[in-house]
Amino acid sequence: MKVSKQEKALTRKRILRAAADVISEKGYKTASMREIARRAEVGDATIYNYFPTKESLLYGYCEEKQRDVAEALTQIETFHEYSLREQLQQLTETELALWLPDREFLTQVFTLTFSAPVAGAVNLAETRRLFNRMVEDMIDAAIEAGEIPDQPYRELLAPLYWDYFTGILAYWLHDDSQDFANTTQLVDRSVEIIATVLQTAMIGKALDLFSFLFRSQISRHLEKLGDYTGPWKKAKRRFMEGESV
Amino acid sequence: MSDSIPTGKLARTGIAGGALLKAGSRQLGHAAKRPFLSEPARRDQRLQLDDDTARILFQAFSRLRGTALKIAQMLSMESNLMPEWFRREMSKSYHQVPPLGRPLVRKLILQEFGKTPEALFARFEPEAFAAASLGQVHAATGQDGEELAVKLQYPGIDVAIDNDLQLLRTLIKPTRYAKLMLSSVDEIEQRLHEEVDYHQEADNTEWFRRQLQLPGVKVPAIHRDYSSKHVLATEHLPGLHLEAWLETDPTQQARDRIGQRLYDIFVHSFYGLHALHADPNPGNYLFADDGNLGLLDFGCVRYYSADFVELIPVLLRAYMERDAKKVISAYRRLGMVAEMGEDELQAFYDEVLQPFGDWLTKPFKAGRFNFANQGTSYTAEGWATFSQLAKVRKINNLANEFIYFDRTFFGLYQLFERMGACIDMEHQWLV
Repeated sequence: MKVSKQEKALTRKRILRAAADVISEKGYKTASMREIARRAEVGDATIYNYFPTKESLLYGYCEEKQRDVAEALTQIETFHEYSLREQLQQLTETELALWLPDREFLTQVFTLTFSAPVAGAVNLAETRRLFNRMVEDMIDAAIEAGEIPDQPYRELLAPLYWDYFTGILAYWLHDDSQDFANTTQLVDRSVEIIATVLQTAMIGKALDLFSFLFRSQISRHLEKLGDYTGPWKKAKRRFMEGESV
Repeated sequence: MSDSIPTGKLARTGIAGGALLKAGSRQLGHAAKRPFLSEPARRDQRLQLDDDTARILFQAFSRLRGTALKIAQMLSMESNLMPEWFRREMSKSYHQVPPLGRPLVRKLILQEFGKTPEALFARFEPEAFAAASLGQVHAATGQDGEELAVKLQYPGIDVAIDNDLQLLRTLIKPTRYAKLMLSSVDEIEQRLHEEVDYHQEADNTEWFRRQLQLPGVKVPAIHRDYSSKHVLATEHLPGLHLEAWLETDPTQQARDRIGQRLYDIFVHSFYGLHALHADPNPGNYLFADDGNLGLLDFGCVRYYSADFVELIPVLLRAYMERDAKKVISAYRRLGMVAEMGEDELQAFYDEVLQPFGDWLTKPFKAGRFNFANQGTSYTAEGWATFSQLAKVRKINNLANEFIYFDRTFFGLYQLFERMGACIDMEHQWLV
């Protein structure tokens, strides 16, 4: 029997959903592929056609979440009219809203990623790429519309926002205020600061200053920063060549 | 100084405002302690300090949103310690639209109704048209075509209130008026907690709508389908806020008429309903073209006991007759406890109460009082006597009812002055 592409996508989604549920309930370590397969109503062997390891399920779910967030954002009809500040805040809030049912799961992801940062960073690469693409889109659109000035080291901004967002998630996971009001406030105020920073292209200016002072030190550290190499390499070239912006 | 701000709170209450408050309080503390100054220099320094206090408070508040803005507004109403420009800036912020962006609006509606704004309403204006207590107001159309004013509360404001107030207390402590201002802050805190509950406000509004039947006065209907604890939807009344209305340069007749309505509402609510809409800030009234007056924002309503309502005219009469014994006995019956001997009490009456009474009853003696036509501003005079009252430490207990009663009275007088209205004051105040 030939399985259509659409069916395949649905099965994939179902497995991920089941994985999130089982991992939330039992914890990552005790959750078994067999139980996840059963919960998703697929054969014990079939699941391996989709996800070869338990790890790939964990991170696959994070990637899926980013696609859901992107989808949810496109559902907002007037989203293109939002200011950059509003767009970034909406992105963050949408992430939080969609992660809410899977808060337990996310805690597991955090624990695993923090206990093995290198492996975690590698495994989350795709999730990060999807997230960053959304942020880049927003920043590019804002620059194109003249809402903010062109940003030096533009390729660094999305990775920085990712780092900020990871911090917000960590805060949120520990937030015990009603309706996570403290997180809402933190996001509201910090996004405003970020918007101001972008408005003044401050990151670029600060980096220019640092590049002048610490050129050699920075470049030495850059070599060690495995995963950020793409954007960092470009930035580094710019540092080293003293290219003006 | 900076050590006394709990860092946990600071971290929670956010970044920009918190840091600013912190920096400000350090600066103030420093200035307040400067010891080696000659007397004139010290006086200059103090005036300078008052100005600095106001400026720093203002900067900090305008960065924070939500509670802080509200607190600042209340303090500016409350206290004559603030320089004129501060009060002016603050009164502007009553209907300045604070930036509660679309993401938060969306989040709030989703959280309260499980639907996006577009799905809940037939039409929803993403831009707010007015600021309100602890939130902002959006125009919307309901599913049956009804025009609505939808008040949205800042998400998480209830949590923020305590944090912001804590910061505010820390900031106030080193200033010259710490005691006086801190007592205001306690009351403000209580009021804020009441105002946070929009269910309560909806009930108050409906009660007034039923009870307050005066010609030319409108209380908006509540739309419960679109209301929750943090969202309040009412009928959208026509009209302009005070400043905008004054810019249309209304005739003297229109000013007098609408001022009179305000006054009648006050008298009628107090005597007839034993209740006051006790937040007479200019943002709570809508002035319509046809001379109708819209009453908004019933977050702060005070109910009065029959005894109190009965005793107020007795007190006013005693003040008019300048009868010390009657005045003091009326205050006693109202619950005032003063730890003073007879002589001291008499002196207190002569120095503080009588000037206050003379000020208070001036409009009643005039019968028809022209608030526009006062050489020195009438309310400015009042501030002076008012603050004398506030400084008396030996009064342990002044009925809580009194504070709101006086404040409402005072707020109204200020409004009349701004409007330049001429009001008939000969009412049943006096027995």
